[in-house]
Amino acid sequence: MKRSYSLILFFLFLIWFLGIFIEWFIKIDEHFVFALPYLQKTYSLVCHQEKNKLLLFGEIETLTCARCTGIYLGLLLSSLLVLLKLPKGKLHINILLVAAAPMIADVLLTSLNIYAYSKLIAFLTGFLLGSFGFFYLYAGLNSLILELKR
Amino acid sequence: MKKYLAAIICGFGAGVLQIVPFVKNFSCCMILPLAVFFSLLLDQRATRNFEKIPMKKALLFGLFTGLFAASFGSVLEILITFITKHNDVIASFTDLQRIVQNLPLSEDIKKEVLNIFQSVREDILKNGFSILYTFSVIVNNFIVNSIFGSVGGLIGARIINSKLHHQSNGQ
Repeated sequence: MKRSYSLILFFLFLIWFLGIFIEWFIKIDEHFVFALPYLQKTYSLVCHQEKNKLLLFGEIETLTCARCTGIYLGLLLSSLLVLLKLPKGKLHINILLVAAAPMIADVLLTSLNIYAYSKLIAFLTGFLLGSFGFFYLYAGLNSLILELKR
Repeated sequence: MKKYLAAIICGFGAGVLQIVPFVKNFSCCMILPLAVFFSLLLDQRATRNFEKIPMKKALLFGLFTGLFAASFGSVLEILITFITKHNDVIASFTDLQRIVQNLPLSEDIKKEVLNIFQSVREDILKNGFSILYTFSVIVNNFIVNSIFGSVGGLIGARIINSKLHHQSNGQ
């Protein structure tokens, strides 16, 4: 994939990720407050936004839960990595399954009350899946571009 | 239309999971990508075509699943709001008031924001319908779901194709 496509991808993830922290931006420019309810609704489509699972920094909270924030940060950082160095070689599908396993296990174990929900664990397991998941999206986009060029 | 039957079925499922009260508490960013993955699998079974999925098809399938999820989701959400005269805006209004009051904003901005949402809230409580709310639901659903659907299509096809690749290597 051309570096320009990777750059676009990176900026799309960056915008999406920054949206989660809209409350910070309101402190910079108060007009962002008009976007707050709209963004709350946007992120509610892709996250349950349970109050006790949101990341809290002082009085300011994120618009997605710890796990989703981790996934999006993983995607963003991987897209930055790809921007700096284009990956060569193929990732085996089992790597994605291994990366998803801790998150699936955490969801199951906390849902079954085997142990208490932890924002840190949720964030880290989400981050792991997001970081590796990006490379499969990247490979999919690569194949799509090659198909369209044919 | 028959061609995208799997996308309609899975799109409906995803739309319901995103919108219906209580069920939506299980909402997660994986719902739509998973719905697309299942719609690709369902389509393979329905057409009995187990060959490698072209990425163009995967993207279209993802996009359509997202669009169907957005259509069903929007209609359901507007309908539920109309019948119950209650929704997220009403439920989170006190929260929004608290957040806006706690933010370091000028009084004019605070008043303006709260007035907009107060008018939406009143419309919903009185008529079960608000143009601003309906517009934001439709725009939101269609943009977010089509993007997440397309992403799910590309990743889902990679997973299915790699499984086929390994099976053919094993034979």
